[in-house]
Amino acid sequence: MIARRVRDSGGLEKRVAELEAEVQECRQLNLRLAELTDVVMELLLPVADRDEERVAELLQRYRDSVNDPPVPGPR
Amino acid sequence: MLRSARVTDAGIFVRTEQDRAVDVLFDGRRIGSFWLQRDTRQAGEERKYPWPDALRRFLDGVTTLSLVDHVSEEELFSADVRLGTGEERIRVEDAQGNPLGLDKSLRLMRLFESRSAEHVKPLLDSMEAVLAALEKAGVEPFIAYGTLLGAVRDGELIGHDSDADLGYVSKHDHPVDVMLESFRLQRALVEQGFAVTRYSGIAFKVLVEESDGTRRGLDVFGGFMRDGMLYLMGEVGHPFEAQWIFPRSRTTLEGRTFPAPAVPEHLLEAMYGPTWRVPDPAYKFETPQSTVRRLNGWFRGTRVGQEQVWGKFYGHGPQAGPQGPSEFVRWVRECEPDMRTAVDVGCGYGRDVMWLARQGVEAWGLDFISRAFKRSARRAERQGLPATFLWANITELRSVMVTGALLARLPGPRVVLARHVADATDATGRSHLLRLARMVAGRSGRLYLQVQAARSPGNGERGVKALDVEALLAQVADLGGRVLERHDIAEDEGDDAPASSSAPTICRLVITWNP
Repeated sequence: MIARRVRDSGGLEKRVAELEAEVQECRQLNLRLAELTDVVMELLLPVADRDEERVAELLQRYRDSVNDPPVPGPR
Repeated sequence: MLRSARVTDAGIFVRTEQDRAVDVLFDGRRIGSFWLQRDTRQAGEERKYPWPDALRRFLDGVTTLSLVDHVSEEELFSADVRLGTGEERIRVEDAQGNPLGLDKSLRLMRLFESRSAEHVKPLLDSMEAVLAALEKAGVEPFIAYGTLLGAVRDGELIGHDSDADLGYVSKHDHPVDVMLESFRLQRALVEQGFAVTRYSGIAFKVLVEESDGTRRGLDVFGGFMRDGMLYLMGEVGHPFEAQWIFPRSRTTLEGRTFPAPAVPEHLLEAMYGPTWRVPDPAYKFETPQSTVRRLNGWFRGTRVGQEQVWGKFYGHGPQAGPQGPSEFVRWVRECEPDMRTAVDVGCGYGRDVMWLARQGVEAWGLDFISRAFKRSARRAERQGLPATFLWANITELRSVMVTGALLARLPGPRVVLARHVADATDATGRSHLLRLARMVAGRSGRLYLQVQAARSPGNGERGVKALDVEALLAQVADLGGRVLERHDIAEDEGDDAPASSSAPTICRLVITWNP
């Protein structure tokens, strides 16, 4: 009886750990989804315009908004 | 309170049963603080407080060391001590002679207590400028964390603090929407002329250049409410009511007024617990694991190796670094005599990029530490070489996508090189690296990878760990790639590569997306 309870609680612990890992995997989709949505809204749709100059400018502007800023100091 | 205290090169030894925050003073100036029990460990009959690492290099000379109860200001101990072999007074200062002190994270910083009103003015100006910019971009920002604590408690910046924090609570309640808003805020700030560096899905630092040319970073922490809980990056997950945030109030800090939450006391309790009114210079966040897991899961993971490993490795400012090509790039060049464009992911100092450019290849270097390649970029410009360097981050999908889109437009065949990148990032970074390579190389070019495949004496150095090559090959196959060549080799070379042994520890792969 006691042995079974110990065994069960061990199993439960393992299942909780697995469940936590799975929940965390699901949470991580939020960042992916946000990044993907941002790319689609800001880049993909305007790129479909096929206006070469505008596309180049757009890529540059989007990059500037994602990038770390350049290192300061004399060039 | 203290039954005894003594000071040695190893640390401060005390006998006490109490647990209180005490300040450590050198010649009457506060250097740091610690809790008598929490931050010490048993050493025989005594409790030992080891010297913090950041302080050690200064501990050579003489000083009058005092221990003072932080709250009551009672002096508990004072003695003339000698540390190391030096004869001079110990001076804990930066290169310009400015006094430094340990902050609560045990970093040596220029703390507010050592600054005069004229030093604080530029900070207050910067805070006002960034608050106005955020307001203009559509959120309702307020001062947060230590800055809010100082304002509400004393109307002043906290002496043992060194930076200013801002925050806002989004009107959205879903993590995805809150992140999209944060991306939009960053765009708006960049368009307003600010330099911004992102730390997570909802937090970034705004870099403000002050009149003396120094750059100060103001942290902006995003937050949101969901199901009666407030989540605020980076430490808060607490039951909360919207009316404690909105409408915002005003609070006084150093003689100026700044926006604050409607009832700042509630936010301070959520940040620092019910004892927030008692000053604690050695405060440690006790963020519940469930909150850490939530904030990590939702918002973090885009800075793998950035500060902890490579930021430290490259130090401050532009770097000289080793010159000359790696064996890896020589091998790639032999395999690809006709390449027109080369993209070196994780280019570091940019020596391989420069070598390729000198041979007439249009060479691009990508790295997430831009000061690493700054010197090479300058040299390339001066010498008119076809070498271009870009900041890019393979753990950030947006960066991968836009960089891939940009480079895919260059003349082919385009070859991608990544030497010790797949083995220095995480699983997400690896899949993004392969995606980037697929976007850039397309059907015309190939990807050349070098990874650590087995443990070697230098294993783990700079975040490079032996990689399961079979798992990597499966990832390649998942993305429609095909391995053309595989070489398991014994020796790696070069001064910035992990140390090697004679057994095969390095794997080189050539990958194509051409069916």
